[in-house]
Amino acid sequence: MQHTHSKLKLRTKSVLTGWSFVLLAVILIFVFYFYPMLQALILSFQTGTGGNLTFTGFDNYSRLLSDQTFLVSVKNTFIYLLVQVPLMIILALFISVLLNDSKLRFKGFYRTAIFLPCVTSLVAYSVVFKYLFAGNGLVNTLLLKLHLVSAPIEWITDPFWAKITIIIAITWRWTGYNMIFYLSALQNIDHSIYEAARIDGASASRQFFGITVPLLKPIILFTSITSTIGTLQLFDEVMNITKGGPGNATQTISQYIYNLSFKYSADFGYAATVSYSIVIMIALLSVIQFKVAGDKNG
Amino acid sequence: MKKGFALVLICLLLLTACSSNSGSKNTGSGADAGKTENTAASEPAQAKEITIWAWDPAFNIAALEVAKAEYAKTNPDVNINIVEYAQADIIQKLNTGLNSGTTKGLPNIVLIEDYRSQSFLQSYKDSFYDLSSSIKGADFADYKSGPTSLDGKQYGVPFDSGVTGLYVRTDYLEQAGYKLADLQDIDWKQYIEIGKAVKEKTGKALITLDPNDLGLIRVMIQSAGEWYLKEDGKTPNLAGNAPLKEAFEIYKELTESNVAKVHADWSQFVAALNSGDVASVPTGNWITPSITAEASQSGKWGIAPLPKLTANESVHASNLGGSSWYVMNVDGKETAADFMAKTFGSNVEMYQKLLTDIGVIGTFKAAAGGEAYSQGNEFFSGQKVVADFAAWTEQIPSVNYGINTYAIEDILIVEMQNYLNGKDIDSVLNDAQAQAESQIK
Repeated sequence: MQHTHSKLKLRTKSVLTGWSFVLLAVILIFVFYFYPMLQALILSFQTGTGGNLTFTGFDNYSRLLSDQTFLVSVKNTFIYLLVQVPLMIILALFISVLLNDSKLRFKGFYRTAIFLPCVTSLVAYSVVFKYLFAGNGLVNTLLLKLHLVSAPIEWITDPFWAKITIIIAITWRWTGYNMIFYLSALQNIDHSIYEAARIDGASASRQFFGITVPLLKPIILFTSITSTIGTLQLFDEVMNITKGGPGNATQTISQYIYNLSFKYSADFGYAATVSYSIVIMIALLSVIQFKVAGDKNG
Repeated sequence: MKKGFALVLICLLLLTACSSNSGSKNTGSGADAGKTENTAASEPAQAKEITIWAWDPAFNIAALEVAKAEYAKTNPDVNINIVEYAQADIIQKLNTGLNSGTTKGLPNIVLIEDYRSQSFLQSYKDSFYDLSSSIKGADFADYKSGPTSLDGKQYGVPFDSGVTGLYVRTDYLEQAGYKLADLQDIDWKQYIEIGKAVKEKTGKALITLDPNDLGLIRVMIQSAGEWYLKEDGKTPNLAGNAPLKEAFEIYKELTESNVAKVHADWSQFVAALNSGDVASVPTGNWITPSITAEASQSGKWGIAPLPKLTANESVHASNLGGSSWYVMNVDGKETAADFMAKTFGSNVEMYQKLLTDIGVIGTFKAAAGGEAYSQGNEFFSGQKVVADFAAWTEQIPSVNYGINTYAIEDILIVEMQNYLNGKDIDSVLNDAQAQAESQIK
């Protein structure tokens, strides 16, 4: 009896010590993360403009499913996701393998050049892209001069080309970011593995698919999840290049949240509901990605 | 033990939740307390400093500077702090500030576009100061009273008129065989016909359009006394709205008759005018400073009345995006209201200065009798453009913008694309109506 009591006390003490170490972080996380999240959740059950909010239960959530603008925004976001994320990951992987070549000269220059877009401001580069792709912008001028097109392409004002413009912009901005992860991972792969493969007569592509890709799998999973999250939250580029237009051809979910909160008559309740729809989508997609690509213990 | 800690954490969570609420309340009452003290100390309710938010340095900010100098003549000890933000930033700051429940960080006076003012007035009822005792709504253009008042109380000081005109390149017109006088009483169909002639003779586009901005549609329907909403400002009025239907048809004709050029944003819009790429622009008078900025085109522009709709009762006058001043219900509101009353609310002399120095056409009725309003403008070949605009201002039909102009417009922009791609006009408007009804609650 005495024995169990002191054991219990000891356990309590160690638990207390443990908590006292993390208490500050726990409090801060609760105040600055969980409390706002909870508030937003509560907000998502309310409707009304500005400050006149009333509880309406699941009204906002049922409105989501019949809201054409929301559905188009989701569709657009998933088009970006399905086209741009694989494109960017393959591109980043390819570039990083090229740049990891020990025989390559001016490696530092290329690495810097490709990583540089990531340190530019989102708004600044978006504005530059908008002007590059304007009706009489540099891109059209070049294409016309090279006789690749006969009339200027309406990059920003045509629904199809506007999407392409956004995809080009985000690929330019984020490929270098993912490349850095691959580069650092590649440097951890032992050279002797490749040497052994070469002795066994494996071709370059065989080495890439047989060694590089499998060994980079955790990193590929990581980059695809972060890119997925980034794309689902895509805002700056669309806001600054096309403002979601023409019509709502390039509008993303995040921009719709902005419009609901600030462009229209301040419907914060419904905006919070749309925000929570992104949370749910990200959670689901991440689970799927883990299941598809992750290790069993991953 | 674990349960115990969970309990502690939940308590902490609740505590922070409560404290943040009471915190905001405290700030509010604290500010109030400060105000009463202030009032007691200095005899008249006079704050030493007021802050004003506005956008557009060439127009609104410049007007404020004039008003500030004017007010300083009688109230030298009041410090007026003018802050420039982009319009979108003001809307965001105002919305987040008002919603957070604390008045800290809000300005004393803010400029709000007329299309948006009701959304603010209705959403945050007690946050704006009733100016009924400082200014008279009837002193200003009639169509301004809808956006600036609520429940019979005057909340806004009507400021610039968004009165529209048809700015045209008279040199291009002449090459096509027309004179400015030929544009005096035309409808939009005739306007397009003239455009075709201009295009043929000069190769220049008649008009430049932004597919993401239906300002032209707004102008057309208001000229016929209609809006996206019924008079109650709540019920969507899209299906069966005859002027809206005609406006859509004209818009389509503009794009299909190859007289329209496309632009994507404001700077491209202004560039199209200044570079001589387009022959005309039907828009609000606030474009004048941007047009006259290209000094080399002096004498080449003229302003005709707005074309009208054919099938519907419309006038040759409309409004596009005017704005007005609002006093926030925060510390210093009496001073802010006094500033507004003595400058934009009554000062006829100041309006003359605003006009000659900046080109601001106000909506203060008494000011229109002033000398500056009847002077010719060199840039427009001596045309008395302000007198014209002032006359058109009086004809603008009054409509209720409600609180959903931009929400409905976003629906219409999509439907407009469908319409241009061949969808039938009636189903375009019916679908827009159905969507608007489900979205606006």
